[in-house]
Amino acid sequence: MKRPKKSKSASQDSPWVRLYELRLRIAAFVLDWASWGYIAYGVIYLLNKYWYLRYVDFYGRLTLPGWGWPVVILATLELTVLSHAFGQSIGLSLFGLRLFGPDLRRIPWRQRARRFLALHVLLVGQPIALFTDRPAGTLLHDGKTTGTMRLVAKIKDDMPPEKPEKTWLTYRGLFLTCLLSLTFWLGWKITTINLQMLVERVGKSGHIWRDLFTPHFTYLTEYVNKRGHLYSITYHMMETVFMAFFATVTGALAAFPLSFLGARNIMGFNKVGWLIYSVMRLLFNVFRSIESILMAVLFAVWVGFGNPFAGAMALFFHTIAALGKLYSEQVESVDPGPLEAIAATGARRWQVVVYGVIPQIIPSYLAFTLYRWDINIRMATIIALVGGGGIGTLLFYFKNEVGRLSDAWNQVGAIIVSIVVVVWLLDYISARVREKIG
Amino acid sequence: MDDLIRVEHLTKIYARGEVLALNDISFTVKRGEFLVLLGLSGSGKSTLLRCLNRLIEPTEGQIVFDGIDVTRASGRQLRHLRRRMAMIFQQFNLVKRSTVLTNVLSGRLGYVNPGASAIHKFPKQDVEMAMTNLERVGIPEQAYKRADELSGGQQQRVGIARALMQQPDLLMADEPVSALDPATSHSVMQYLELMNREDGVTVIASLHFLSLARRYGTRILALKDGEIVFEGLPAEIDAAKFKEIYGEEAEEVEVR
Repeated sequence: MKRPKKSKSASQDSPWVRLYELRLRIAAFVLDWASWGYIAYGVIYLLNKYWYLRYVDFYGRLTLPGWGWPVVILATLELTVLSHAFGQSIGLSLFGLRLFGPDLRRIPWRQRARRFLALHVLLVGQPIALFTDRPAGTLLHDGKTTGTMRLVAKIKDDMPPEKPEKTWLTYRGLFLTCLLSLTFWLGWKITTINLQMLVERVGKSGHIWRDLFTPHFTYLTEYVNKRGHLYSITYHMMETVFMAFFATVTGALAAFPLSFLGARNIMGFNKVGWLIYSVMRLLFNVFRSIESILMAVLFAVWVGFGNPFAGAMALFFHTIAALGKLYSEQVESVDPGPLEAIAATGARRWQVVVYGVIPQIIPSYLAFTLYRWDINIRMATIIALVGGGGIGTLLFYFKNEVGRLSDAWNQVGAIIVSIVVVVWLLDYISARVREKIG
Repeated sequence: MDDLIRVEHLTKIYARGEVLALNDISFTVKRGEFLVLLGLSGSGKSTLLRCLNRLIEPTEGQIVFDGIDVTRASGRQLRHLRRRMAMIFQQFNLVKRSTVLTNVLSGRLGYVNPGASAIHKFPKQDVEMAMTNLERVGIPEQAYKRADELSGGQQQRVGIARALMQQPDLLMADEPVSALDPATSHSVMQYLELMNREDGVTVIASLHFLSLARRYGTRILALKDGEIVFEGLPAEIDAAKFKEIYGEEAEEVEVR
């Protein structure tokens, strides 16, 4: 039997190195198992929906019988091994792995079946094999057949030309099709989509539509005096616009220097730089994933409910994170040629940034800032939902007065119309400015 | 001392993919020489040039520039060495959105007060020097245009003016004419020759064409797969040597 040639250093590799060499195969396996697990979950959920509360209780928790869990785990594991050992799974192709014979050709199906059986027989031996002297990156059953998992990218040049398969007829294509259909079916059930209800109950919202489209601009400039705190639409609109303006400008100014700290090509010159880069990227990602409306919850308690300062602070922090990430990606994509040239003149590292990087990124910085300004305006109109101030204060006030105030929906309509007008106007202006820059 | 640069057992291995780009290279460059590096793409010419001023870190070996060990120089020392070793590039490597004058002045960054340079302020004599150098390369009227408005040949001349600003002892030209047409190539090469003859700047230029090398070089160093395959005078390259450098299937092409 032909075995892969032993490399000279193989005996010196520690088990950890061998494990590390297997990382892609392990990752692919975990991913495949997870996808089969997802399918199992979907099937059980749908069984419940159609066979009323059989395996899932009222609260949506899985309540399989005692023997159910081992069966599910074993079945998914077996399916994973089957697809994995045959070298055809989603995980393998996602991590760029493929099963090859020694001459880099496809392995016949009989050989693949033998791999599948060998994997079962040699299961216990696999961890022990890490301590034995064998080529890194291989498993025991690789030796029982002529196949080995190889990274496609690494050997693409050596591969003999082969006819591409029709994507949808491969195992991968069929599996993905099933996965997508199952997801769609599940999604339909979980979000309780009901088109019948949508049609039948259309009359319930009829009068709201009518009121919304006959807006009452009573308080366009007049004060609303209900609780002594509320002012006119114009006043709150000003709050909204300036809240967004303040957050965008200060956020952009803060994100500008930070973006260089979050760029690999600027910071990746030593260990400390890498650390700063990683921390910055982590901070950007964490703060970006907290929506500004969630931050506003915190700031509304901090500086006062309904205070536009709260909304401005929330937008400011989210702007830093969002722009910081966009900016630093721009810094990373600059042409490295000029940087090299300026470094070659004997310039300091920061001089390279000032003379080489900044001139290259200014246009896209402006475009991204304007884009962020558009987003901030939109967010500022509804951030009052959690007490962030701005036009939303009035919007949600009148919405809550429905039933007490006869023309509450008409007032809401007036506010929505004002929002649409202002947002459209500002969008138009920023689009024109961006055109000029680009 | 007559030698400007002494390279000893220089080796560069790119960590990713473990490519051996330079394999144990040793040579010396005398003051005032016009050394031409010949070789196919991927033969290691660019890597060699970039190792000399450590834009690329050499894996092994020693480079001595004017009696100073470049490979051991750190921080400030390296910057001061780089001021004396100007470089021009195949793709010109100008900052496209900056003006020609700013690009030329950036050749001065190693000398000027760093605080003033942060706000793009240069001493008056540097600005005058930049204008003089632009006149030397024949494009004083382009000084306030953006660099990307210029033609390829003009951009390379801006690159030369930037190099002149460093008042260098050594000029490294990494395929300076590969992106230019034959006529422009000669005009750019003539500026390099001028620097070499009038200012006494030692030149190391990597070139593709043997005809250009014969015309301008005083000595030729040919690389193949990261090793020196020929070292000598331009006239010594005959048909056999040519095949050795460029491979059996190559045929000589003239650039006029």
